[in-house]
Amino acid sequence: MTDARDVPPTSGPAAMKVSPAAAIERPARAPSATDRRLRTLFLRVGLFVAILVAWQIGSTNAPAFVLPSPERVWRVWISLVATPSFWTDFGITFGRILAGFAFAAVVGTVLGLVLGASRLLGEAFEPLLTVINTVSSAIWAIFALIWFGLSNWTTIFVVFMTAMPLILTNVWQGTRTVNVEFVELAQTFRMSRRQVLTKIYLPTILPPFFSGARLAFGFGARVSLVAESLGATSGIGYRLRQAADLVQTDQVFAWTLTLIALMIVLETLILKPLERHLFKWKERVPG
Amino acid sequence: MSVVALQSVSKCFFRRDGEQLEVLRNIDLDVPERSIVALLGASGCGKSTLLNIIAGLVEPDHGRVLLNGTPSAAFKDWRSMTYMFQEDRLLPWRTAAQNVAFGLEATKLSRAERRVRVAETLDLVGLSQFANVYPYELSGGMRSRVALARSLATEPSILLMDEPFSKLDPSIRAQMHAEVLRIAALRKVTIIFVTHDVEEAVVLADKVVVLHPRPGRVRETISVPLAYPRDPLATAFTDQVRHLRRIL
Ligand SMILES: Nc1ncnc2c1ncn2[C@@H]1O[C@H](COP(=O)(O)OP(=O)(O)OP(=O)(O)O)[C@@H](O)[C@H]1O
Ligand SMILES: [Mg+2]
Repeated sequence: MTDARDVPPTSGPAAMKVSPAAAIERPARAPSATDRRLRTLFLRVGLFVAILVAWQIGSTNAPAFVLPSPERVWRVWISLVATPSFWTDFGITFGRILAGFAFAAVVGTVLGLVLGASRLLGEAFEPLLTVINTVSSAIWAIFALIWFGLSNWTTIFVVFMTAMPLILTNVWQGTRTVNVEFVELAQTFRMSRRQVLTKIYLPTILPPFFSGARLAFGFGARVSLVAESLGATSGIGYRLRQAADLVQTDQVFAWTLTLIALMIVLETLILKPLERHLFKWKERVPG
Repeated sequence: MSVVALQSVSKCFFRRDGEQLEVLRNIDLDVPERSIVALLGASGCGKSTLLNIIAGLVEPDHGRVLLNGTPSAAFKDWRSMTYMFQEDRLLPWRTAAQNVAFGLEATKLSRAERRVRVAETLDLVGLSQFANVYPYELSGGMRSRVALARSLATEPSILLMDEPFSKLDPSIRAQMHAEVLRIAALRKVTIIFVTHDVEEAVVLADKVVVLHPRPGRVRETISVPLAYPRDPLATAFTDQVRHLRRIL
């Protein structure tokens, strides 16, 4: 074959597309991407310092059991991390969240797919979902306490009941966005139902599943502490209540710091990179 | 024997306001083995619907569809037919190469065989350098070439194409015409394709079916007895084009 077939790599994808934003922006004034990132970083550091300063000022004007100073919380946190029971409690809570979340992900996905596949079931279950969503997690915790007593299952159940409806709803909505044209395409290649499910449905549902799961994990992690403070004899929630009962405010702060650190680590080391990897096929919105 | 035969096929669609829309009326079509048939007609006269019926995606209200002499419902060898839709229908979460591999995943080919086939077919449509690019990074013409590659990768013996080259610029279009003719001769492919372009019909087809709209029916079937490759400047060619334009 001849010339035009060998499209030169110089006219690659980047060169062929003109970003509409770039055409509108006035190049002289528009800040570059790195400029913008630097400014954001600067603002964030500034905000962090401001909070620390406010905290410090507040703590000098209040007794330590009301508001311990940042420096004191830091010291308590360092010694807390050094105790062996810290990692046991941490592991127990994290394990319960993970277990509840895993159950929720599996059940929510399967139910979401089933409800998406059957219109009748979907309409029948819609009100039930609303009811489940309106029940406060504190109420689930109390029920769990009655049903499961002081055991791991109390916390797992509460995490599950909070996370599952979120995942279910997102997967269910996701099944409605499946493109019939793609299903038809798969049919012309005579793909089996299973292949249609894994090659068309699952990739379509993955983005809504991911955002649902992310939300669900966050909620699950928060309510797990409520559940543990009510119905457990171990874990971070239990330690938090113990510290509160003994008015060890600095301990409460130290545990809170732990949780914030955990969430930041999960977000930046796992969720963000995973999201970037899974959805690299999506066109990025410029800016 | 005819590879595809339609016998007085009719199709109505119910519109949402409850009214009936007669899209196809008494269509007879005969596509002999290894022939190339062009469906030519105004927008909305039911060309895509006709291909959908042949592909088994839409049931006709009346009439029969025979594939290799078997009624469509009893036909087994569907994998020998591919359908290149009017829209490219590229899966956005797959790269160009993965999109080309899509149809192959329904076959028994091994992973290595698939990879070879994908590379060959991408090369055929001139997109080797864009194998690992996602659809959003491709131009419209490149996208339709990926869709063409996906249809060719499974090495079909019946190829249905709905306006396959309408998004290509003239030079690439001419290349694709040559490529399709070469493959058709090499692999004994029977082709049915839709086009708005009279010249394209005369370049490729040995039979042109002219459809008339509302309801869609066969106005005339014209055979093009010119030898391949056809020269668009030859008098015989331009005569055919003029003749077809007059019917349209
Ligand atoms: N699923 C459907 N439901 C109802 N009406 C339909 C459906 N599909 C097609 N039609 C109608 O059938 C008619 C023919 O449609 P079709 O897509 O086959 O036309 P076409 O010849 O391919 O047109 P074009 O050249 O613009 O692609 C149109 O009037 C369209 O509105
Ligand atoms: Mg059409």
